Amino acid sequence: MDVLTNVVQYVLNLGASVFVPIIMLIIGICARMKFKDAISAAIIFGVAFAGMNLVVGFMLDSISPAAQAFAKNTGIALTAVDGGWTTGASITWAWPLAFLIFPITIGVNIVMLALKWTKTLNVDMWNVWGKAFTAIMVSYISGNVYLGFVVVVIQIIIELKIGDIWGKEIEELTGIPGVTVPHHMTIIASLLYPINQLMDKIPMFNKKMDADALKEKLGVFAENHVMGAIVGFLLGLVAGYGVSKSLILAVQAATALTLFPMVSKLFMQALSPISEAISDFMRKHFNNREILIGLDWPILAGRNELWVTAILLIPVELLFAVILPGNKVLPFGGIINLSIVVAVVLLARGNLLRMVVYGVITTPVFLYLATFFAPYMTRLAQETHAVKVPAGSMLTWSTMENGEFKFAFSEAMAGKWWGILLAVVWIALFVYFYFGRKKENAKRYHDEAKAEGFES
Amino acid sequence: MKRVIVACGSGVATSQTVASKVKRILSEKKISAEVEAVDIKSLDHLIKNCDVYVAITKPKKAYGIPTLNGIAFLTGLGMDAEVEKLIAALK
Repeated sequence: MDVLTNVVQYVLNLGASVFVPIIMLIIGICARMKFKDAISAAIIFGVAFAGMNLVVGFMLDSISPAAQAFAKNTGIALTAVDGGWTTGASITWAWPLAFLIFPITIGVNIVMLALKWTKTLNVDMWNVWGKAFTAIMVSYISGNVYLGFVVVVIQIIIELKIGDIWGKEIEELTGIPGVTVPHHMTIIASLLYPINQLMDKIPMFNKKMDADALKEKLGVFAENHVMGAIVGFLLGLVAGYGVSKSLILAVQAATALTLFPMVSKLFMQALSPISEAISDFMRKHFNNREILIGLDWPILAGRNELWVTAILLIPVELLFAVILPGNKVLPFGGIINLSIVVAVVLLARGNLLRMVVYGVITTPVFLYLATFFAPYMTRLAQETHAVKVPAGSMLTWSTMENGEFKFAFSEAMAGKWWGILLAVVWIALFVYFYFGRKKENAKRYHDEAKAEGFES
Repeated sequence: MKRVIVACGSGVATSQTVASKVKRILSEKKISAEVEAVDIKSLDHLIKNCDVYVAITKPKKAYGIPTLNGIAFLTGLGMDAEVEKLIAALK
């Protein structure tokens, strides 16, 4: 037994870029992949880690000194650097138990389908990382890793239930029938639902706006390199760098934001044989009845409301970061707030004005939650040796998906009475949303079906 | 070499899933082509010099090259037809 523990410890000490590829190789061989394919996928996974380590390190080396200079000049200490979701995913895959979430995700889905508690068959195996991330945060805060897995099961059930709801909205917004987005990030919609009901009664919030024309004009700002350069240049100026040094920082920031997705797609490249095998298996066994196939959010990426809202929120995030008392987050890698725009494009059925309002009012919540989770994300980065974080700095994700859920449930699992209260309130709001929206959709789409019937 | 481009919301997960699948199908059929996953926000620049576009979203513009339905590669529904179109476009 001691030998085994020693071997495990030895492998873990090698760091994520070695032991996760070893796990991948073992899974690949067990799944009867060809050896050369399995080894290729495993090495790519290691490359993804080492690559992310380089890029995140590069980002921290260029951004942290500017943040510190800014703090010195102004007294506003934004010491938690935002690595965005790509960094979050990278350090999460480095967690030794992350791969256990695959069988849990599949198992819960199969049980829910078999009992007819859901119509959603989630074949999106990439966002397993988001569930692993929840497990890590809950286990860090509660001190108990099993409770982390309990919360993950709750999360998977809620994702499938919200997937059942969104099928209709997705068909209306994209024209694609039979699919849904059972994504963790959309769940914040349930907390905003009472506001949405209020907006239904106000005429101003029920007018159509043209997002396509705005996207044509503003779209360039959403491109990673352009946005990175602007944010880097502004940060240089407020840090008192002067123009020439600010221009250098601008290019460095643009480099970091351009390389993040380029490197993190290597994770998906390595995972794709596994994820393909799983989704083929799931489809084969459940495709013979009426189901909604759960996909990742980019099937909505053609909705320009999404990008226009995200762009308009960038200055709002920067402003709030500076003026909110107690905020420690310097928005950067996660500055395109996908976590809110994807949720509210569904909730508001593409109504741009509502989406922007939701984005603005939730920005402080995102920043405070990112401040709260920063020490835990930093701990994860350090414990897994996935990323080196310089002393005096923290790593975070400014636009963490469904952070309210993680916050409420991890504090509840830690046994805090107010955490339990928050978790109960959270569930009550979700239930209210689930039944309210279901009724609303039944009426809306029944009426539409009838109207179409009249025309034809 | 011919180039296939796949775009999604951030050029990381969905587009790479489809790109990996397309690559595997092409290598099984012994067709050599480059397949790249990109960020849809930069698609207008990146699509130049590409021969096939696999779209996850309904394209709002015409790019003058064959465009395939990427959702079919994710759900498996109607995938065979898209594969045929892909092969025809690359021959």
